[in-house]
Amino acid sequence: MSVLEKQIQPWLLEIARFFSGLMVASAILMPLDSQALPAFARQTGQNCVSCHAGGQFPELTPYGRMFKLTGYTIGSRSIPLSVMGVFNYAKVSDTTKSDDPSVDFQKNGVPVFSGGSLFIAGKVTDNIGLFSQITYDNFASQSPDGKFQGHSSADNIDLRYADRFIDNNRDLIIGLSVNNNPSVSDPWNTTAAWMQYVPAASLSSHQFSDANTPFPSFDAHNSPLAGINAYVLWNKMIYADLGFYRTANRAFSIMSAGTNDDGTQKLRGTNNPYWRLALTHDWGAHNLMIGTSGMIAHAYDPGSDISDPGNLGRFKNVGVDAQYQYLLDPHTVTAQVAYMRQTQTYSANAFAAAAPPFVLGDGITPVASVNPSDTTNIFRAKLSYVYQATYGGSVAFFNKTGTINTLNQTSGYDPGGCGITNDPECPGVVATSLRVNGNLLGSPAARGMTYELFWTPLQYVRVGAMYTAYNKFNGASDNYDGLGRNARDNNTLFGYVWFAY
Amino acid sequence: MNGISLLSVLALLATASACSNIERSRDLANPNVPPAVTAMQVCSICHGMDGNSGSPNFPRLAGQQAAYLVAQLEHFRSQQRSDPPGPEYMWGISHHLTDGQIKGLAEYFAKQVPLPNAPVDAHLMAAGKSIYDNGVPEQNVIPCAACHGPKAQGIEAFPRLAHQHADYIVKQLNIFQNTQGRPGTPMENIVHPLTGENKEAVAAYLQAFPD
Repeated sequence: MSVLEKQIQPWLLEIARFFSGLMVASAILMPLDSQALPAFARQTGQNCVSCHAGGQFPELTPYGRMFKLTGYTIGSRSIPLSVMGVFNYAKVSDTTKSDDPSVDFQKNGVPVFSGGSLFIAGKVTDNIGLFSQITYDNFASQSPDGKFQGHSSADNIDLRYADRFIDNNRDLIIGLSVNNNPSVSDPWNTTAAWMQYVPAASLSSHQFSDANTPFPSFDAHNSPLAGINAYVLWNKMIYADLGFYRTANRAFSIMSAGTNDDGTQKLRGTNNPYWRLALTHDWGAHNLMIGTSGMIAHAYDPGSDISDPGNLGRFKNVGVDAQYQYLLDPHTVTAQVAYMRQTQTYSANAFAAAAPPFVLGDGITPVASVNPSDTTNIFRAKLSYVYQATYGGSVAFFNKTGTINTLNQTSGYDPGGCGITNDPECPGVVATSLRVNGNLLGSPAARGMTYELFWTPLQYVRVGAMYTAYNKFNGASDNYDGLGRNARDNNTLFGYVWFAY
Repeated sequence: MNGISLLSVLALLATASACSNIERSRDLANPNVPPAVTAMQVCSICHGMDGNSGSPNFPRLAGQQAAYLVAQLEHFRSQQRSDPPGPEYMWGISHHLTDGQIKGLAEYFAKQVPLPNAPVDAHLMAAGKSIYDNGVPEQNVIPCAACHGPKAQGIEAFPRLAHQHADYIVKQLNIFQNTQGRPGTPMENIVHPLTGENKEAVAAYLQAFPD
């Protein structure tokens, strides 16, 4: 059996397991017309490009946005299943400045099957529709002997109720979304849930490829969430969405299926609001959206005692974003910008535990004491062009800045010394110097570009290559780990074959 | 996956699925949905509430000849019309429509009022008008007005062209000229000698059609 076959086999088993249960459920629920196979394209009888700009996933066209905001209810019911998978390959520019390249760059230069998704998606009633995704990560965890193990878990889930009141004087869409990811309910591609490239490397299979670069995100989503949003689109001009989130456990555990509840970060109650406001305008072949979004989440330290208020911290996110599209066959042009500022206030206990004073590995040089809160700013801009929904390319710029915090420092000056320690005599080393992923400055800053070329020979298959070039990583361009590694050493070529059906 | 939660959600959905909302339905396979509802809930997304689509990707339907719209919807439904808008959008939209719904949709858009467009370059306008009114005699291209009418208003199966998006007209002329995507019309032979410049000019003239 080849390496590739060994990787695919557990995935097929997992998918088969899900299928057997779901086929029964869907056979009961969806006895109506089922021409051909799965999901939205079958439901509407339309081509992918009607909803996805130039066939780029997940970016939506104006029609795709209306399909989503009206609750995935256009068309007729069909078997609501699709699958998606990704084979990929990545190569990091320099693997020599590492103590153990086989550990630091485990999948470097090796073609892998990184994972796949099963989608259950479709119209349920005239007002209710579902988009849900179960994702299998072929490299989800690693056993002590270094062997990777695959695992499936709930990915994006968006169950909607929508109604549209339209006549000559008004066009009003109102809806509710029950979901597990703040902004997954949003129809624009510049929101946190949707801005990543698709396909992306599995985070655990390839570090430094674009999926690991900074994207606007709600870090509260590190915790498994369940939320309900109410939204409105008025006259195709003003979009507003307000949601509240809680931890997806107990009755809401379906939203986090496959994630072990123990040790995850928990939110306090349901008063964790997400909001979104956008203005949008279409003219001719052009359309533009300017928007803002944000979230405030009260989160306990992962795995901590949630009856102790001293373990409670807070994430506050505020973002602005804009998207311009020009869609006129055979051309698709998209320009996107997004900026998000996140302030994380640490819990009293976490702050106390990280008590100063800190000194560097020389035992003398003092460094800034840990902050009670940290702020990060992430900016991302992307320009893409697709010809005939077949040949495409994009250029993206990303820049992350943030406060310097000794908590982020994972490297000292002296590779042979103790690294960072709060004891000049070094008996209790807090963090030893780390090559490759070490952070000498305690700064989260990262900056770089991602270039992409792709080819979509069939609407269900895409072949592409991405090159991510860093000029800042972990706060510095040169010697960011204190052991001589430079940001550009992490430049990565990522190639993929993606398919969906 | 938590089987009990999943089942309870599915049961809830199954209960809800008994409901249908005919007055605001986007179901394209329910013969009971009135055509005006489908026109407003679905067609309007691309073609506009009043049939005056904003994007040139989608033809304007306002004031279009009902007989022409019926024929096109039937050709999409049977997949006889296979130019890109067919597989991309219209095959799916029309797949389950009944004859009655098709007729109703055609009547809905036929009675909408076409809106004027911005003027275009005078030279292009003059060249387009000449082709429309007189054809291109040296290339044996007959006048468009002969079938589509002096006001480009169309008649029965001959479509209205006035105020149509120029980009859409050029693309359709190219389809008639180079493909078999729209069989069963005389256009294939008529447009054969047209040059790129001819097509641009007549399309610009029709988009900006003077009232």
